[in-house]
Amino acid sequence: MTSIWAYSLGRRYGKKWGLKDVSFEVSEGELAVLAGPNGAGKTTTVRILATILKPSKGEARVLGYDVVKEFKEIRKRIAYMPQGYRGSTNLTPYEAVKWNLVARGWSFRKASAQAEKWLKLLGLWEDRNKTGWALSGGQRVRVAVAATLACNADVIFLDEPTVGLDVDVKHAVWRAIREIVSGGASVLLTTHDMYEAEILADQVIFLFNGKTIVAEEPQKLVELLPYRYKVAVKGKELLKNIDVEDKIDLGDRAIVYAKSEREAIRLIEEIGFYRESLSISRVGLEDVFYFFTKRRGGINV
Amino acid sequence: MSESVRQVLRQVMGIAYIESRWLVRQPLWLVQGLVSSIGFTMLMFFWGGVEALKNMILAWLIAGAWSNGLNIVAQSIGWSRLFYDYERLVASPVTLAIYFIGVVAGNLPFFFLVDVLPAFIISLLVKMTLQTILALLALSPLALTLGALTSLYIILRLKNPTNISAITNPLNTITVTLPPVYYPLTPLPQILRIIALVVPTVSFMEISRWTTNYPYTCFDPILPTIMLAVWLLIITPLTLKKLKWGLE
Repeated sequence: MTSIWAYSLGRRYGKKWGLKDVSFEVSEGELAVLAGPNGAGKTTTVRILATILKPSKGEARVLGYDVVKEFKEIRKRIAYMPQGYRGSTNLTPYEAVKWNLVARGWSFRKASAQAEKWLKLLGLWEDRNKTGWALSGGQRVRVAVAATLACNADVIFLDEPTVGLDVDVKHAVWRAIREIVSGGASVLLTTHDMYEAEILADQVIFLFNGKTIVAEEPQKLVELLPYRYKVAVKGKELLKNIDVEDKIDLGDRAIVYAKSEREAIRLIEEIGFYRESLSISRVGLEDVFYFFTKRRGGINV
Repeated sequence: MSESVRQVLRQVMGIAYIESRWLVRQPLWLVQGLVSSIGFTMLMFFWGGVEALKNMILAWLIAGAWSNGLNIVAQSIGWSRLFYDYERLVASPVTLAIYFIGVVAGNLPFFFLVDVLPAFIISLLVKMTLQTILALLALSPLALTLGALTSLYIILRLKNPTNISAITNPLNTITVTLPPVYYPLTPLPQILRIIALVVPTVSFMEISRWTTNYPYTCFDPILPTIMLAVWLLIITPLTLKKLKWGLE
């Protein structure tokens, strides 16, 4: 069953189109990641689907309900964590989760039990009675995530929930998000972090310049690349003498792409810069992101 | 009580609880308010005697409610928009009416502790009747709502994040400290008295003075009521146009 359906969505801000043509579908129990550079239209898309903004063109449905005509039905069934939302500094983690649930109409008893469950899951139970002022940035993000996921919503929108978090905290958030997806909820998450998308997503939707470029499983997207390996090298002047089709200039370093493992090794041997190569690895979503956005046309979608 | 009514009550309580926590976590605001009330009482009594105290009670109950709406309720909503709480609540079963009532309810303890309670205590000393206090309290929700709408009219037009209290505090000073709220209209020339009624707090105070048979009253309630009605008719649609609950 389809949880989120968007067709040719567009949104105009004055005379400028912030979102031009976005279409995709998210199934029940699926985690879809909206990826793309700054200004691609990720947040606008999420805000339209969360009934914050009205689309200027196109159609969208959440759980079968039209985002404009049937927004009340949608709001009963969704939870949304806006970009930059960090919760109130005047609330403790326990209050933030519990009373947000009460504000959604939950009974006090159920809200208390649910707050306990999610604060434990996100490693916040020990600090449940500290006020927001006494919490670290990462803890406040976890509180915001807990307050959103605890709603037991059928569809959850998370706009950059892990930006600026350290690895451990990020893993805790990922675990919680996957937990909710395993329970049958659909999640639409935006991120710049392609590693996060690769690990978390069942589907990645690439937006560029207000349009959907592609929506596919992460692995299938990687397979669209003409390359399989990349070599990070020091001293890019060494590359001048060889024929390298695709490389990313990083100043005194470069990333070189190779179509096979054999080609990657041959490249290293030919140039003779064993000691100058930093790493050799398989290509991933980050490379897909690069080719789709910076080098559009390099991949035939 | 039906489940849907219980659910609405819980929603209001949830919002109110969240909105009231600033008072618990930052109690010095309350201390400041109470000390200010004591200081004002002395100032009014030693310079103006019992009549000044009676006017001060009216001001606390009416202009205090206005200030609560203009400064505190509007700030809560404004900050909530800046820090995305507002958007998060839009995308939930909470409606605009529930949200507004919850925000007002959450901030009422401050009004009761800093304005209503001292007003009640001093009313006993100056022998003001309980009926008078109740009549004024009946008028205060309108003053609070109009204050909130007036402030929100400006706050909701802000394009860039800013310190909202830097807007609501001056607004409060302009509408409460400067015009004839804590002092009567009588010393002003007739033309200034009429002009002053344009400020809603002055009209509210004139109605209150008339209702309580306060000796320094200039107008019967017709003109101040018309002024307030005009203000309400203008500011309500203008603010509600900006106070959108999603689908912007």
